[in-house]
Amino acid sequence: MLKEEAIIVKDVYFSYNGFEVLKGVSLTVRTGEVLALMGENGAGKTTLIKHFNGLLKPQKGRVLVFGKDTREASVAQLARRVGLVFQNPDHQLFAESVEEEILFTLRNMGYPESRVKERCEYVLRLFDLDKYRQRSPYTLSIGERKRLAIAAVVSHDPDVLVLDEPTAGQDYFNKSKLARIINAMKMKGKGIVIVTHDVEFAVQIADRVALMANGRVIKVGSARDVLTDEKGLRAARLLPPQIAWTASLLIQKGFTMSRIPMLPGELYFELARMLDSRGEGGNL
Amino acid sequence: MSRVFDIFRFRQKKTPLHSLDPRAKFAILLALSAASLAFSDPFSLSLLLLVEVILLKIAKSLSELISSLRGLTSIMILIFILNYLTLPSGRLYTSIAMSLRFLSLATAFSVFFLTTTPDELSTALEVSGVPREYTMMFTMSLRFVPSLARDLQTVSDALRARGLELERGGLRERLRNYTYLLVPLLVYELRRSLMVAEALEARGFGAVRKVEPFYELRFRAKDYLTLALSCCALLIIALLHLTKVYSVFTSELARIIP
Amino acid sequence: MPLVELKGVHFKYAGSDEYSLKGVSFSASRGECVLLVGPSGCGKSTLLRVLNGLIPHFYEGDLEGEATVAGLDVRSTPIHVLAKHVGMVFQDPENQLFLSSVEREIAFGLENMGLARAEIKRRVEETLRVFGLEELRYKAPYELSGGQQQKVAIASIMAMEPEVLVLDEPTANLDPLSALEILSLVNVLVKDEGLLTIIVEHRLELALKFATRLVVMNDGRLVFDGDPRTGVLFTHRLIGYPPVVITYNLVRRRGLTENFTPLTPEELAEVVAEACSRRKQS
Repeated sequence: MLKEEAIIVKDVYFSYNGFEVLKGVSLTVRTGEVLALMGENGAGKTTLIKHFNGLLKPQKGRVLVFGKDTREASVAQLARRVGLVFQNPDHQLFAESVEEEILFTLRNMGYPESRVKERCEYVLRLFDLDKYRQRSPYTLSIGERKRLAIAAVVSHDPDVLVLDEPTAGQDYFNKSKLARIINAMKMKGKGIVIVTHDVEFAVQIADRVALMANGRVIKVGSARDVLTDEKGLRAARLLPPQIAWTASLLIQKGFTMSRIPMLPGELYFELARMLDSRGEGGNL
Repeated sequence: MSRVFDIFRFRQKKTPLHSLDPRAKFAILLALSAASLAFSDPFSLSLLLLVEVILLKIAKSLSELISSLRGLTSIMILIFILNYLTLPSGRLYTSIAMSLRFLSLATAFSVFFLTTTPDELSTALEVSGVPREYTMMFTMSLRFVPSLARDLQTVSDALRARGLELERGGLRERLRNYTYLLVPLLVYELRRSLMVAEALEARGFGAVRKVEPFYELRFRAKDYLTLALSCCALLIIALLHLTKVYSVFTSELARIIP
Repeated sequence: MPLVELKGVHFKYAGSDEYSLKGVSFSASRGECVLLVGPSGCGKSTLLRVLNGLIPHFYEGDLEGEATVAGLDVRSTPIHVLAKHVGMVFQDPENQLFLSSVEREIAFGLENMGLARAEIKRRVEETLRVFGLEELRYKAPYELSGGQQQKVAIASIMAMEPEVLVLDEPTANLDPLSALEILSLVNVLVKDEGLLTIIVEHRLELALKFATRLVVMNDGRLVFDGDPRTGVLFTHRLIGYPPVVITYNLVRRRGLTENFTPLTPEELAEVVAEACSRRKQS
């Protein structure tokens, strides 16, 4: 699938109450891939993603959404192409039923009335919420509320989806479900940005990673390059993924590896090779 | 508009005013607000405002007043216009005075709130015999104002991200838009208050009726001096009014100025 | 005598049709660090709230079975009495810090206990020192970072000198390094002061290594209670495997005979290095 430059952030500065939150941030978001935006609290991640749909406008620099300068477009216009989901679903849900929650966005976005029902149906099934159609959002579990908040934002099919801390406080089931949904959307050519602290989740689903610290992007690159760079990760107050960490410990012990692994399967491959070669032809 | 409230939010600073006993500062507040209400001519009120500005200068908090001046000015203009349109005579004179009165009252309160922590305030109330439940309620309501403002911002951002245009349409449509905003906000604040209540219970709140507060309030020489000065000011204001000196002064003024 | 003892505890929230706890029996003693995990809605938070009396005194409902903490019957002991024995730290620091300085925050619980000012001052000083918060003492809690706030929340609870510390997802809002710092801090309290801690936490990869015991819940029942190294092998359907355990399982399948499930990168590296050197010798 052809990757398109969806959002281009060019040297953006932003201050809030005299405090400089973004200090010259440049970043590109592409369709058809998952970009993880990582870094400590207060590094400016949330401020940055609010620039993606025009909730905030750059005080210096530019943000282009599919070629359009965000300063020349309203949030409602930009929201058609960029869906932004905040961390806490309780800030976002208000309708009387799950179904109403989806319909609200569809109608706001001017989705053709003839296809509203059909689309709503599709979204509810995609997010595994169809059995709760008539329930009040407030009676759902935390994981279901999270999915509903996302469903409500993607219902009108924006090209880019931005998720703030999707896995915070989510259990194993919900995390796996979210990973599946994110992957499905990527396969459909959507651009996805996740703001997260969850290194293991990023390992699973991110194609590219950008590290932020103190209002700057300090490193951006392929997930493998960034997530196996221990120094960069620590500068952003993150810990390396368990597998990369294990590998670097083994390297310290004198083992050699063809490359730093990130996934259990990759580490296993290296280990099997190692055990085999050290075991004088023993076959593991 | 949120900037207007900045002049009432405490800032940690090391100044003679900050270190005064909250009860002494309360006496200042009383004197200043009494003066704001007692005087009704632009000259006395300007003089009063000068005193307040000097106090804020001592408290190193003049910048807070300046930064919220824009919001305050819009309220002053509103007061001015309302007075100007409704008064039968002496319109310019009184309208200016009323706007100034608002400013000097707001500044008087800011002198107090900018320099007094909510904790000091609640301790002072507690020492004066107000039950701890009430003083804590007071502390909490101040404590959660910024949180509430932030929640409101997030809820409105979240709705706008879903294509809602809050400011669009006629009055009825706008009102409906604001109810969309209100529902999640109310639900969220309810949840928050539950969490806060749990945390309070976990810290044993409400167990003992009479507690000994951690902070000790001590009335020192400078507090007595402040109290005395404030009382003198109150006395002078009262005398000016009782002896009709002030009314003679204002009627003279009114004759000179239309 | 165990510090916490639950026998056949059932609980149903008032107005709810279903029991949130369906016969929980559990006991724990000083010096244990119990990691309590399970899918959301499985009853973890409800269980914690039984331990400090929020259930049944704050949340009403039907509580059946026996629940004693520090020898006190939870049902007949008011929350503020239990609060001296069981400290509880919540997920969101913002909603558990109320006051305008760190020192006053720490003093708050002590004031509520009705202590004399001299004793409050002594304990505040000691707590500030033990938790390394002296430099932040005059700061307002809302000016601090999330990690510092959670540290203040724990310090404010520990100043009340409880024997049991209960933490409900204390690191959910923190970055990994701050989360690790908080969990290490709790670990020190368990080791040095013989505290009993019960932590609910979703981030297994961070929390497992500190646990002396793993308790897994599902649908209001305990489905595992025992050694974390055994637990992670049998409950993955509910809580998932940490990446090191997945790797260990893969390697083990190929003949690495080591009966010690590694929970951290350090341990996995150790296990592999040892296996390699053994193989070399043979």
